[in-house]
Amino acid sequence: MVLRLEVRNVSKSFLGVRALDKVSLSVAPGEIHALLGENGAGKSTLSKIVAGVYDADEGEILLDGKPLHGLTEASAARAGIGIVHQEGSLIDHLSVSENIYSGRPPTSFLGQIDRRKLRSWSAELLAQLGLHIDPDSRVADLPSALRQVVEIAKALSHRPKLLILDEPTAALTLTETDELFGVVRNLASQGVAVIYVSHRLGEIFELCHRVTILRDGHYVDTVKVSETNTEALIRLMVGRDLEFAREPASAPPGEALIEAHAISSGPDVHEASITVRRGEIVCLAGLVGSGRTEFCEVLFGARRRESGEVMFKGRSFRPRQPRDAMRAGIGMVCEDRKETGLFLERNLVENTAVTVLDAVSTGLVVSWAKAGALAETFRESLGIVTPSVYQKVGLLSGGNQQKVLLAKWLATKPALLIVDEPTRGVDVGARSEIYRILRELRSEGVGLLVVSSDLPEVLALADRIVVMADGRTVGELSGAEADEVSILRLATVNTQTGLETMETA
Amino acid sequence: MMRDLTMRQTAPAGFPSTGKSGESSLAGRILASRPQTLLILNVILIAAMAIAYPANFATQANFSAVLLNAAQSGILVVGMMILMIGGAFDLSIGSTLALSGVVAGALVGWLGYPAELGILAGIATGAAAGLVNGLIVTRLGINPLIATLATLSIYRSLTQLIGASGVTPISNAFKFYGQVKFLGLQSPFWVMLVIVVLGAWAVARTKVFRQYYFIGGNARAAQLSGINVPRLTLMAFVLMGALAGLAGVLAAARLNSAVVSAGIGVELSVITATVLGGASLKGGEGTIIGGVLGVLFIALVQNAMIINGIGVFWQGMIIGLVLLLAVSLNRFKQRSAR
Repeated sequence: MVLRLEVRNVSKSFLGVRALDKVSLSVAPGEIHALLGENGAGKSTLSKIVAGVYDADEGEILLDGKPLHGLTEASAARAGIGIVHQEGSLIDHLSVSENIYSGRPPTSFLGQIDRRKLRSWSAELLAQLGLHIDPDSRVADLPSALRQVVEIAKALSHRPKLLILDEPTAALTLTETDELFGVVRNLASQGVAVIYVSHRLGEIFELCHRVTILRDGHYVDTVKVSETNTEALIRLMVGRDLEFAREPASAPPGEALIEAHAISSGPDVHEASITVRRGEIVCLAGLVGSGRTEFCEVLFGARRRESGEVMFKGRSFRPRQPRDAMRAGIGMVCEDRKETGLFLERNLVENTAVTVLDAVSTGLVVSWAKAGALAETFRESLGIVTPSVYQKVGLLSGGNQQKVLLAKWLATKPALLIVDEPTRGVDVGARSEIYRILRELRSEGVGLLVVSSDLPEVLALADRIVVMADGRTVGELSGAEADEVSILRLATVNTQTGLETMETA
Repeated sequence: MMRDLTMRQTAPAGFPSTGKSGESSLAGRILASRPQTLLILNVILIAAMAIAYPANFATQANFSAVLLNAAQSGILVVGMMILMIGGAFDLSIGSTLALSGVVAGALVGWLGYPAELGILAGIATGAAAGLVNGLIVTRLGINPLIATLATLSIYRSLTQLIGASGVTPISNAFKFYGQVKFLGLQSPFWVMLVIVVLGAWAVARTKVFRQYYFIGGNARAAQLSGINVPRLTLMAFVLMGALAGLAGVLAAARLNSAVVSAGIGVELSVITATVLGGASLKGGEGTIIGGVLGVLFIALVQNAMIINGIGVFWQGMIIGLVLLLAVSLNRFKQRSAR
């Protein structure tokens, strides 16, 4: 039998970083094939290459035995490859049916859009998916779960031979997930090959035939689902080299700084709880999209809290905006230094002084001498490499930018510092320096809450590890006892089905 | 002092500026900052006109006329520059100006209140108009373009409803504040000078106004750095409104007449001067000095067109072309720097 899809030794680099290294994958017609791996393992990159979003640097892709060349999104769709992206590709103010047939609506005389056909075709597709929504309703008016299904309907409208689903259940309820599984099984029984990208191990055991595991852009193994178990899969996913050794705190932690209990906010955070004490590093681990950043933003006053209690330094604490949290003694180094962290067009002095304008001012007037001295202090203590503190921050390297971002918050002398992805996109040298800085803060009695998607980083830094999944805090591990397997086991819990790894194992 | 303040944007208080590529060449240094470019343009324009028309141009009477003409825009450009540094702008200032003038004129001319009270009421009316703009933008989250486009129309209509065909004359006591002379120059010029100096100092040096550079540079990052972005944006709109109110009162006093059609179109010429002076629609850039030099340039071009007989119809052409040229030079510089 000819394989539906064959990927041979595909590699891809972004800005010199190898995202995929000689990865191979094969999917038969009618097969549901899972793609599994940690954050950043290369699952999404591989899916996007097959769907023509990215070009592979090297390697071959064959569909039904025929090699595909110079694949684009449009030519992939014509060839019969459909993809449902993780993030929405829908246009909010258009109707469901217009979205499903976007780009190639049924037409009649003189190229007019045939509204009647558009509506009936869409209704038929939606019914196939077990959904009874009006094809004329605006996408913006639909709840997010239904939007996801419209995305799937859109992919199905191409009558694909190969369908790629990238984390399709992230926004779905249990019943909707069941219905989706029914649709996927039905498609497979008609000979459609399905690539199913998911972190949720329970779903893989329920739905898929085979599973291919990726790790750090490398192909690890392909196994039959019926011949494996959760424990074995997790072992295949982890196993990265530990570059940095764990350095536990020299003294036991002090009293509790912040105690958050049952915090909920929007669709992203559900009854999450955490405690951070003076002089300890607590890492918030979990998969991308598990609500860690959003949880931290609630603590920092940057996101509305709908319910739950927070005590900070023993008092009830409800910041209305970051300014309130900052004044109380909380700092937050955000995840995306370019978008939400730094003022790239402004110099180092201004970027460090922005949080402490009062302290560097004499009366009403900003003292640039004080601000400059402050920046010089941090340039020295954090080892920021720059020709001058009057350099525009946008011109610095990633590692140095990250240090400026830290400096901005260290300047406020916070009691609690939240650090979201402390070392994203920085080199190994800067990484070890940032770890040194964080540990020094710990020894000075600062409480640190570190969000990280990098498991070796979590293991190197954490005194305690709190794991989040689907917006909930699902478990806590001590830094000394945790390993990648125990963290992932908690992080891949499906909190809706309750299909814990232990049950399926 | 002018140079000192303009330099401060990138390298505060006498610290060495960071070398950017292209600044070492002569042309690069001249074009290094927009205020410098504008200053040179203004000097060239003045020199050329003084040589070509010594009898008409280089006279005290003509200079004071130019400065008086520039006074209104000079007051307004301070508020507009602050708004634009913070990433917003206000299209309703022409209507606010007329509304404030009519309120002051009606209180003094029709109802017989003292001139001083009329002036304060006019400024307060402007501030209130600005407050409404600011609340619409910050509380309702409506884009400044749409919000102030709407209030431009609303405030003008309100002016016509209150003022009917205008208030003429207002009163001699009121007139005094717009016509009194000092060193041969009428009061609007001196008011502008005070506002410009205060504004330049505040924006360059004070912690409150420095925050607008952060807001315009990256509003989300500013909010996450503990800056109260909505409140400061609101403040900038109130300040803009108060300055428009002040300009409206002065215009009414100068003519001893509150005209309902006052200030039509000033928003565009003030925004032109502001962008010419180094502001960008994205925000985060610009200096008060730059904006004032932009106003001066527009006033000089207008004056030159009248004196040399080419005609005022060419004025718009020249200002438009200089604006395009200045902004494209910037883009060229940015591209070569990368």
